[in-house]
Amino acid sequence: MSNSTTQIMEETVSETTSDTAPLVSSEVPSSSNYTQLNHTSDIQETVEDELQGSHGVRRRQPIQKIEPGSMNTLSAKYESLDYDTCENHLLLDEERKRGYAFIVWKDIARWVIVLLIGVITALIAFIIDICIEEFSKIKYKQLKKSVDTYVMLDKLYIPYLLWVLSNICVVFIGSMLVAYVEPVAAGSGIPQVKCYLNGVKVSRVVRIKTLFVKAVGVITAVVGGLAGGKEGPMIHSGAVVAAGISQGKSTTFNKDFKIFQYFREDHEKRDFVSGGAAAGVSAAFGAPIGGVLFSLEEGTSFWNQGLTWRTFFGTVVSTFTLNIALSAYHGHPGELSYPGLLNLGKMEPFPFQFYELPVFMFFGMVGGVLGALWNYINYRLSVFRIRYIRSPWLRVVEACLVAAVTATCGFLMMFVLDDCRPLGEDPTKVPLQLFCADGEYNTMAAIWFQTPEASVRSFLHDPMGSYKPLSLLVFVICYFLLSTWTFGLAVSSGLFIPNLLTGAAWGRMLAILIQYMLPSNTVNPAKYALVGAAAQLGGVVRMTISLTVIIIETTGQISNALPIIITLVVAKWTGDFFNEGIYDIHIQLAGVPLLPWEPPPLAHNIYASEVMSHPVFTLRTVENVGHIVELLRVVSYNGFPVVDPPLADDAEVTTYKRLRGMILRSQLIVLLQNKIYNENANTTWSNFNVDMNMFRKEYPRYPSIEELEISDWEKTCTIDLRPFMNPSPYTLPHRASLPRLFRLFRALGLRHLPIVNDLNEVVGMVTRKDIARYRVWRHRGHMGMEELLLSSEI
Amino acid sequence: MFKFCVLFVIISIFVKLEANPENDDIYYSQSQVILRDNGIRYSSSYPSQCFEILKEFAENASNFTLCTILHARPITLCEKCIKDYVKFRDKYKELLVSVVNGTSCKSIFLSQDRLNAVQEYHDNILSVWDKGNCNDCYNWTLGIPSLKSTTIDFYRMSNDTKDCISKYNDPDNSEVCNKCMQIYEQLDEFYKTLSSDSIGVDSVCMDIVDSMNATRSTWSKTLNCCNLRRTPEVVFLSCAGIISFLPILYYITVRYCGPIRDLPNVLKQSRFKQTILRGLSIESRSD
Repeated sequence: MSNSTTQIMEETVSETTSDTAPLVSSEVPSSSNYTQLNHTSDIQETVEDELQGSHGVRRRQPIQKIEPGSMNTLSAKYESLDYDTCENHLLLDEERKRGYAFIVWKDIARWVIVLLIGVITALIAFIIDICIEEFSKIKYKQLKKSVDTYVMLDKLYIPYLLWVLSNICVVFIGSMLVAYVEPVAAGSGIPQVKCYLNGVKVSRVVRIKTLFVKAVGVITAVVGGLAGGKEGPMIHSGAVVAAGISQGKSTTFNKDFKIFQYFREDHEKRDFVSGGAAAGVSAAFGAPIGGVLFSLEEGTSFWNQGLTWRTFFGTVVSTFTLNIALSAYHGHPGELSYPGLLNLGKMEPFPFQFYELPVFMFFGMVGGVLGALWNYINYRLSVFRIRYIRSPWLRVVEACLVAAVTATCGFLMMFVLDDCRPLGEDPTKVPLQLFCADGEYNTMAAIWFQTPEASVRSFLHDPMGSYKPLSLLVFVICYFLLSTWTFGLAVSSGLFIPNLLTGAAWGRMLAILIQYMLPSNTVNPAKYALVGAAAQLGGVVRMTISLTVIIIETTGQISNALPIIITLVVAKWTGDFFNEGIYDIHIQLAGVPLLPWEPPPLAHNIYASEVMSHPVFTLRTVENVGHIVELLRVVSYNGFPVVDPPLADDAEVTTYKRLRGMILRSQLIVLLQNKIYNENANTTWSNFNVDMNMFRKEYPRYPSIEELEISDWEKTCTIDLRPFMNPSPYTLPHRASLPRLFRLFRALGLRHLPIVNDLNEVVGMVTRKDIARYRVWRHRGHMGMEELLLSSEI
Repeated sequence: MFKFCVLFVIISIFVKLEANPENDDIYYSQSQVILRDNGIRYSSSYPSQCFEILKEFAENASNFTLCTILHARPITLCEKCIKDYVKFRDKYKELLVSVVNGTSCKSIFLSQDRLNAVQEYHDNILSVWDKGNCNDCYNWTLGIPSLKSTTIDFYRMSNDTKDCISKYNDPDNSEVCNKCMQIYEQLDEFYKTLSSDSIGVDSVCMDIVDSMNATRSTWSKTLNCCNLRRTPEVVFLSCAGIISFLPILYYITVRYCGPIRDLPNVLKQSRFKQTILRGLSIESRSD
């Protein structure tokens, strides 16, 4: 393919001396006038154009349509965050006026906000936890009563249907909320938060409405008996809380508290969101250090020591507040023994021998394979859902069906597997006798008639003989399938707990097998259950350091670190051999232009001139209002280079023009909205009272250009863009390589990067999507790079 | 080096041989020394009353231990050893509070050394009693134990059940379940009311728990009277079958009966190379 490509290129470009020759010559039309704008729509593409991939890049056959649910497509809908500060005159004015006192004040405000984020995240976690606990208690008490009554009457279908019905009803409420009110609240929210921290604006992800739906949704999902956890949603909730508090206003309630205006920009907001996500992890797992590491590993590319320190403060406050609240609720005020929602119970330090390390590696491999399988099944299901289950009511029906089947699975397992244990040896909350002898209880019922989180605890801590291997095997298969089926439904629930549960179950099962093989040794089932849980979760989410620290902190035992680390590393390696982590799969399915950590390898021969979008829409330093309005209406771009006006204002001869600065769509809209323009271009501009707050007032939701009313006479006015534009945007010459572009984008969190020629004239523009379309794939030891397609309809 | 080792071994064997005949003598004289030493250390400064209390406490402790071990299986120690327990407990209290000539006995015996034998033994002996929740069998008005009414009731019913079972317990086993069902159920219900916790490990006295466990085991395992529970449940199984079938139906319906949508279009990207090529092609056409 590369051969043919070069041939075509040589044939077609033979007239010019080199690829980049036209960049300095001024033959190619630019577009600072009306005629060019109208011409852009009738671009004729030839087949030869489509075939041309960059050197060595796999590019699929030219197609006009794409099948939805493809991982090789980027959605054009996602915008980037403006992480880069716009250093215009207004900012300089503001800095001059405020001085150092303001910086000190801002620093203090940051700490106060982080404190508030920690406290409020913890309180939300507290409310969610209490609701789930109380509702579950009521539900399972009633079900037990019903089973006890009807088992003697040969009418077991009554409690069964009662269970199915209660599951469906509860899940229905949550699913309706998610499907109709706020679809972005579905799932765990970690992929969305990850995208946001990477610098992609996922619409509606940090709104208060999302938080509400998320909180109610997770309560209904867990109470409804679905195989889901409340930890992932907690992380999302923390992020929303952070984004909300730091802004000092709520657009949903149309309430502006007139505080923290100086934090109303993407840069500050994203920093706070990273802290909020960390506080969420901390509240969910009682893992303050794990929370900080989670933010570091999954999220922010732009990290500094001060932010880490503040984030750590936030996570500690969060776990501390939750601890106080939960201890008081459970009747031990001041005892501080409930650091997180997920409490795996204190693990004893388990001694391990040298020869056990291969065993842990084996566990890691099993976890990696199972995790990859889990991801694959979930991927297929997600594709199916994207293609066929699109309307909200279908999604609600699906969620209800899953709820019903979950109850069916549970009841059938209790019914079929007669795994009985004498009462009193294990701490069971709802001992259900069913077909067992008097004074005994059904172990499967004990597992199913409690929240999944309590079940993880049982698997970790119950003595060796508590479960028969056969019942464990059936449970593992059922729960494995149920959890992968559940993730991606229109309910908000996470995947940490279900995977920990599955892993703990097969870990315990393997422990029993080992015990059979080595009858002389005493095998500690808790050890293998924990290692199994870690392996399964690591195989699914493929997080490394933060997951290790989270598990260590949740079990409160640092001396178990080595087995867990070994297991997780092997699990990740094994899983990565087959496919990617579940969050990455979902991000790719959504077509989010996420930038990975590293630029694609072997890509130094791809130059900015190939990566950039070519005809750039530019604005002159003093620009006509009508032209701006027209430009904003016609194109969807968000950043426009501001250039010197051409020497001769001739529409026929167009040239590249010298870069003076960058201006954003949002800034233009604010300018138009406030009518900062003059009838006469030569008037002085000082009579306008413009400051930064004018731009901050509308943040983060600016009106669209169609919403502005601009009368005809105004279109002849002119705006001087120079005080508002960013006068020194980052630029690169057209011969810069892709890795260089990539690093600049990734490290500085850029949104627009003008590409200039040797005369500092704008020849192209690079945005996140232009870079993210070069994606590296890895599969079964092979790797390569491919160029993704873009679509605005997915 | 080797020589020294051999020499050492020989010498040590020799010394041992020397010592052996006089072993008892040596131990005797050693203990004499220790005793004398003790006498000097304690008797002069510490009151002898304390040692009397200690002696009695030791006897009580040994009696109580004896009793609990003897009644360990089946568990009846709460009932049988209550007297020993009270004595043991009271004596320990006495030991704690007694003050003779301004010296408290507590200060002599408790927390004086690493071993802390008195308190350790006390705690160990008591832990069995506490683990079994034995105090819950009794009412403790004015510190004097009397059986709770619930305990008495329970034993009455339990004995009734046992009598009933032994009365009807024929080899063919058919009668006993029906005859004793009512009385057994009564006992079961009553037992369940005893504890607030659903599994009864929190507060119920161990004698009762064990007795109930034994009865239940006889009832449901030896006599097999719980088989009534095992029934085919056809309605349940068919309901479960239908509900498990629904998702498959749903997915097939959605797959094949959904509306056919237009596939999303690929967005045309405007790139530098395309623009040149287009420019060239336009030029060539115009030529």
